[in-house]
Amino acid sequence: MRRRQFLTLAPALIAAPVVLRAQDDTLKLRELYEGRDFSPLARDLEGTTIDVDGYMAPPLQADSSFFVLTKIPMSVCPFCETEAEWPDDIVAIYTRRKFDTVPFNRKIVVTGALALGSYRDPDTGFLSMVRLENARLRFG
Amino acid sequence: MPDPIADLLARLPLWMENTVILLGALLPVLVIGALVLRGFAIWPLLSALLRRQVWVSVVFTMLIAVSIGLGVGLIAQERGLRQGTARAADKFELVIAAPGSEITAMLAAVYLQPSAIPLIDGPTYAQVAAHPNADLVAPLAFGDSYENAPVVGSTPAFVDYLSEGLAEGRVFATETEAIAGARTPLAVGDSFTPQHGQGNEAEGAHGGFEYQVVGRMPLTGSPWDRAYIVPAESVWMVHGLANGHAPGWDGTVGGPFDPDYFPGTPAALVKADSLGGAYVMQAQFNTDRTMALFPGTVLSRLHALMGDIRQVMSILAIVTQVLVTVGVLAGLMMLTRLLARRLALLRALGAPRRFNFALTWSYAVTLIVLGAGLGLALGVLLTRAISGVITDRTDILVTASLGWSELHLVGAFVSLTALLALIPAWLTMTRPVVRDLRG
Amino acid sequence: MTGISLSISDLEVTGQGGRRILSVPRLEVPAGTAVAVRGPSGAGKSTLLYALAGIIAPSRGCITWGDTDIAGLDDSGRAAFRRGTVGFIFQEHLLFEELSALGNAGVTALYAPRRDRRRIRDSAEGLLTRFGLGKSAARRSDTFSGGERQRIAVVRALAGDAPVILADEPTASLDRANADALADDLMRLARDDGRTLVAVSHDPSLHDRADRVIDVRDGQLELPEAQNA
Repeated sequence: MRRRQFLTLAPALIAAPVVLRAQDDTLKLRELYEGRDFSPLARDLEGTTIDVDGYMAPPLQADSSFFVLTKIPMSVCPFCETEAEWPDDIVAIYTRRKFDTVPFNRKIVVTGALALGSYRDPDTGFLSMVRLENARLRFG
Repeated sequence: MPDPIADLLARLPLWMENTVILLGALLPVLVIGALVLRGFAIWPLLSALLRRQVWVSVVFTMLIAVSIGLGVGLIAQERGLRQGTARAADKFELVIAAPGSEITAMLAAVYLQPSAIPLIDGPTYAQVAAHPNADLVAPLAFGDSYENAPVVGSTPAFVDYLSEGLAEGRVFATETEAIAGARTPLAVGDSFTPQHGQGNEAEGAHGGFEYQVVGRMPLTGSPWDRAYIVPAESVWMVHGLANGHAPGWDGTVGGPFDPDYFPGTPAALVKADSLGGAYVMQAQFNTDRTMALFPGTVLSRLHALMGDIRQVMSILAIVTQVLVTVGVLAGLMMLTRLLARRLALLRALGAPRRFNFALTWSYAVTLIVLGAGLGLALGVLLTRAISGVITDRTDILVTASLGWSELHLVGAFVSLTALLALIPAWLTMTRPVVRDLRG
Repeated sequence: MTGISLSISDLEVTGQGGRRILSVPRLEVPAGTAVAVRGPSGAGKSTLLYALAGIIAPSRGCITWGDTDIAGLDDSGRAAFRRGTVGFIFQEHLLFEELSALGNAGVTALYAPRRDRRRIRDSAEGLLTRFGLGKSAARRSDTFSGGERQRIAVVRALAGDAPVILADEPTASLDRANADALADDLMRLARDDGRTLVAVSHDPSLHDRADRVIDVRDGQLELPEAQNA
């Protein structure tokens, strides 16, 4: 906890806006990205345990320990646009234990160790840039 | 669990966390045991007690074992079912069918449960097949059967994808060839005639048409092990429909199909080029004409439901365990009356009160621990038997194994009941020595 | 080992409803004496014995063994006193049938301090041999005859090297020959080691062998003048 607070404060000295989130420990997905690249905050937090909130994309496999966290619900609503650009700012979540699927529109907070850099999942072939490993989730 | 402890545990490897939780669950009984038994050599009298009350001990132990076995079996069975059904659905990333019930479509496509579902037409199928994110698209033309086993029309590419290499033989190349699942009775070289429909609704053989088995799939642990896969063209043809190809077709089975000569398929399996591609296709083919579903997602909804049911039943199982334990402890209280004379004798000889307390408590805990251990074994055996029946009936490979949750449950049960066992132990200390001694 | 003396003064034991069961104004027993207590049934003999062992707490008075007034001890204090000082022999031997002869003879080792366990077991083994039961020490105790079982019970009382032996009708369940033999053994063992022995008994063979006989009647001791001096 201490360490995490320290690490969130350290970049705050450089990038003032980040100070705003020092109050609440939970990160937004977009705070990890800067365009298509990692944000300085993400680089600073690499390897530490962080909380990120978002939505669970419907998992393709039941009884697994992998899912994708998106910033907006991965809608299956017929009134939403269908061109469905696969969003760039997602986080691959590898859970500590097998998880129960959460409805796609229910906000969740994921706690896990932040890992950066490209990694191809051996089972699904999914290529991820940002991951939370050893993750646990709770409702936001 | 308070957050700091959860955070601390999350830093350990999973097995270590599980061990820590188990030890934590067992800690009360270990602490009580150490305190109660300190300085005594209890075993000779404890074993004498067990031998004297052998039938009572056996009955009490079995009662505990059965109640624990039910709880353990419930948890292990649910996990086995989850794993088995999930494994069977692994290959079915995305299924596209005509709009309707997702669960019906999933049961039909993944688990080959006979059901009447509408077809998707040629142009729609062509759209799916031509999607830039699609790696593999195959029709799943189910409906026919042979000796109650489903006969499903698809493509050679699907056979390759599902089997990851055949166990024997080769993939079908012509309309009269077929692939047999691992648990079918037919061998390579055997022939069979498909029937329209399945089970009691089968409407008689398709006159004169015969398939020859040219390959066998390895075990997949899914209902496909009991199925035959044939070229989709043949399924259409025996129903008197177009065969999916324009006139002048060279006879090579498999895609691409011509939309104008495509009679329709109840479902199509899609393997997307990437996870993102799967989500894109799923979003795009949820239209008024098609329904795109992730069997994994549908299944995990069913799993969640199953989990809820399991939780309710777990409460029943726990209530049973507590009732049995209370019954056993009540029995022990009566038993201590039978033992009163021997306990009084020990007191008269100068044994400390705590010695009798320790003797009675460890007697109860011995029954509890033996019962819990037997219960674990019983639960696993029970799960194994039930899993065998399920695998036999559904062809979904369900395996039974002992998991940490069961061990944690049993650990907590042992500790809780060891605490309760302090009550009859305490009661032995309050008995009148002289009166008990005179019997 | 040497026995310890007994001194009783102003002792009163009451039963349910405050009824007086036993009253002993004064009794002195020197260390190493073998005392036989006799009297009709219900006279209070067993009550006296249980009070001497601290199993029954008196309502008044002092029971002083050596320097310790056990009437002033609480329940666990009296149990500790029994552990260290008293070997008790019951009317019906009261063995744990499932244990061996040696297991029974050394049963007090199970709750004795760890350092004494070895000594108690060795002593039990030696005494069983002295009683002619050494070869069958490992046999289950319910396979022995009545006389043998009572001997095992005697060994149990002696194995802890207690300076005081209290016996409640030790020969009652035995035939004449066995009773005489046991009475001999008991007296010899008590005397050899200089223990103080109090035995409640109807059996004249025990009375004959005792240093002193006390009669109990209606909860009162009847002491000849000469002895009461």
